[in-house]
Amino acid sequence: MAEFGISPGQLVAVFCDKSSSEEALKKLVGRVQGLTGSEGQVFVENITQLLQSAHKESSFDVILSGIVPGSTSLHSPEALADMARILRPGGCLFLKEPVETTGVNNDKIKTASKLCSALTLSGLVEIKELQREALSPEEAQSMQEHLGYHSDSLLSVHVTGKKPNFEVGSSSQLKLLHKKSSSVKPVVDPATAKLWTLSANDMEDDSMDLIDSDELLDPEDLKKPDPASLKAPSCGEGKKRKACKNCTCGLAEELEKEQSKAQSSQPKSACGNCYLGDAFRCANCPYLGMPAFKPGEQVLLSSSNLQDA
Amino acid sequence: MQVPQLLVLFGSQTGTAQDEAERLGREARRRRLGCRVQALDSYSVANLIREPLVIFVCATTGQGDPPDNMKNFWRFIFRKSLPSTSLCQMDFAVLGLGDSSYAKFNFVAKKLHRRLLQLGGNALVPPCLGDDQHELGPDAAIDPWVGDLWEKIMTMYPVPLDIPEIPHGVPLPSKFIFQFLQEVPSIGAEELNLASSAPQTPPSELQPFLAPVVTNQRVTGPQHFQDVRLMEFDITESNISFAAGDVVLILPSNSEAHTKQFCQLLCLDPNQFFTLKPREPGVPYPPGLPQHCTVWHLVSQYLDIASVPRRSFFELLACLSPHALEREKLLEFSSARGQEELWEYCNRPRRTILEVLCDFPHTAGAIPPDYLLDLIPRIRPRAFSIASSLLAHPRRLQILVAVVKYQTRLKEPRRGLCSSWLASLTPGQAGPVRVPLWVRPGSLVFPKTPGTPIIMVGPGTGVAPFRAAIQERVAHGQMGNVLFFGCRQRDQDFYWQTEWQELEQRGCLTLVTAFSREQAQKVYVQHRLRELGPLVWELLDGQGAYFYLAGNAKYMPTDVSEALTAIFQEEGRLSTTDAAAYLARLQQTLRFQTETWA
Repeated sequence: MAEFGISPGQLVAVFCDKSSSEEALKKLVGRVQGLTGSEGQVFVENITQLLQSAHKESSFDVILSGIVPGSTSLHSPEALADMARILRPGGCLFLKEPVETTGVNNDKIKTASKLCSALTLSGLVEIKELQREALSPEEAQSMQEHLGYHSDSLLSVHVTGKKPNFEVGSSSQLKLLHKKSSSVKPVVDPATAKLWTLSANDMEDDSMDLIDSDELLDPEDLKKPDPASLKAPSCGEGKKRKACKNCTCGLAEELEKEQSKAQSSQPKSACGNCYLGDAFRCANCPYLGMPAFKPGEQVLLSSSNLQDA
Repeated sequence: MQVPQLLVLFGSQTGTAQDEAERLGREARRRRLGCRVQALDSYSVANLIREPLVIFVCATTGQGDPPDNMKNFWRFIFRKSLPSTSLCQMDFAVLGLGDSSYAKFNFVAKKLHRRLLQLGGNALVPPCLGDDQHELGPDAAIDPWVGDLWEKIMTMYPVPLDIPEIPHGVPLPSKFIFQFLQEVPSIGAEELNLASSAPQTPPSELQPFLAPVVTNQRVTGPQHFQDVRLMEFDITESNISFAAGDVVLILPSNSEAHTKQFCQLLCLDPNQFFTLKPREPGVPYPPGLPQHCTVWHLVSQYLDIASVPRRSFFELLACLSPHALEREKLLEFSSARGQEELWEYCNRPRRTILEVLCDFPHTAGAIPPDYLLDLIPRIRPRAFSIASSLLAHPRRLQILVAVVKYQTRLKEPRRGLCSSWLASLTPGQAGPVRVPLWVRPGSLVFPKTPGTPIIMVGPGTGVAPFRAAIQERVAHGQMGNVLFFGCRQRDQDFYWQTEWQELEQRGCLTLVTAFSREQAQKVYVQHRLRELGPLVWELLDGQGAYFYLAGNAKYMPTDVSEALTAIFQEEGRLSTTDAAAYLARLQQTLRFQTETWA
């Protein structure tokens, strides 16, 4: 209570009224300034000037209203709404106001619960009643002189409220995916389900009338795919040669292979994978199409194989 | 929030859609999403209304039809009585696998996407239309689409940050654990197969009939480049019945040499018995495998080691490889960046799984047996048009098999697994040679009314289903049969020549032939159609004839359709658009039916 949760560097507004004790006001302001430090700032104003001052919205971290001893301000809904407006998101309001403790229905003095409701209606959350105490003799006299109200059941109530952690008008994505999935699917009409089940349990009945399924098709369905779309995308004249596993094929090796072809009718493996089978062979391997064989095994190629290669 | 359940449903005919669906399942598990992968007809469609996230992977069979294991789902989803907001809780995506050489390119995926939108489903991404005709195969369209799909799903269902994605180099656990048995079990695998050869219900994929081979006769001339076999099976006591247009499915085996080579390469003892235990509860035992099974049986009759491996094969193999050089190459093949190289190495030359494993011997030797079923797909059955009628050949089933053999860049010629295996079967040497088979309806439907004539165009082996149709109709006394048959030379590949000529003499058949290689100018069936335009128009328009077309899907169906529209314009005095509308109306009323293969 004494500290109001004020931190260094914060902006604090203190509202008083004409019945506030000037000496007590100076003392409170001095204490608050000590809490805010040099970076912070304390603003003091008479509550009757609040609506005319037109403070910029979200200006203050903390607002103290009616806290000065001797204050007897009654906060109107407009004043509360404006205090909520000028608070920053997450900012706190500390407020003291005389309230009626009996159930007498009058339109001047609120009850404690109504005061809390008023804070809620102005847009604040986490409203708590901190303390109740009797009015001081000066406060009671002030109520009689300025408001013309005299009652033995008045108390002074301290309440606090907090502005939500978002600005007016802001928006965020609602996660309705799961809920939406279940709510969007309509419940099957029980009569429909019964009719479906009866029909399904009678599967062998061939006398049922059937829809002509040909009527479901439209002219687009009767078309066949374009033959061009049946070609593989990567096909073309530039079909790439099959890369060899662990092979360093270069021009010199190709020339060497062509020479070895000219020299011998039995070409030797250029990539060392011929025995493994077609999955591993080069694109131009003369052994393509033949089964795999053991390395070193002599496999004779017929002249037609050589010509094909 | 709880982990969302992703459901992948597939309709697959040749296994490609199933492979893609399982790839999506693996990628989901790597992203820590709960995932189930099921065939559409195995899934209880009553639960679909409560599924939050579904990916549909569907192939399209020849005529825009749904694959076999999603036909029931297809008939259900197109019911008129389904309410329009049934699937409002479902986010979905559709991946289609098709071939743009067919007219109805990816029709199943397109229609399913539209229908799911009609029923209130929410599409995460536009449908993906994979195309076999793309130079890089369907993956050229699938890879970017899958990237977009995962980005969308991970935005909707973010995974907690403390559970990281499983990196690509770490293998996911295998589905099954191999438990090798020390002693030979009391009931052998072969006995189990024989025990199932006396069924109470008609044979099916789960319980095929082991039919003895009666004859295996080459029907092309010795000089012909293609070996075509007429094969006859004995189906006595099999409960098999079929009509004209039906199809027989045959489950082939790997050759003995390939099976031996595979076991050697992977250091497996072929005589070892084992049983399989699923790692997670609820995983069904693989159909077609006995409870106690030898490694030989698994490799020769279950694992499709003669198929061209898919990208997932290299992906898993890279995780299992202990050899740095081989691992690096395998990772490159399984990456999006290496698709061109993978295509050049594997798909273009049609390299088989066994040949790939030979190229990576260190990796092959280190494959744990537990991963065999994850790594290598199951042998798929092959479909053949039944070429005989029970009314003409009781207790017999005949097919025409063109043996697939061609050369690519590889020195070893490429061979069809089933056709080569069937051609190698020689009956009557040491006991009966048995072939697992079962039948199912085909797509051809013939008119029951006696007076309705039919026109059949069947060049080459496409004539097979029409032989069954003619035999059946002749047995019922239906005489209006016109057959346009085409081949290269009458002395090399004129199938069933004597049979047609005999039927012509009896007045049961009108035969029109087209021999394309016997004169300088090539003559095909469409040319003969146009020559006989008045007859064709009179039969179709005047007598309400049905028109049938069977054969290779490359050019012939388009050429025949063009010939027909030309006949409509010349003989029927129709405009171009009216002729096209006339042909479309014939198709809608099933008076123009085709059965073609790529």
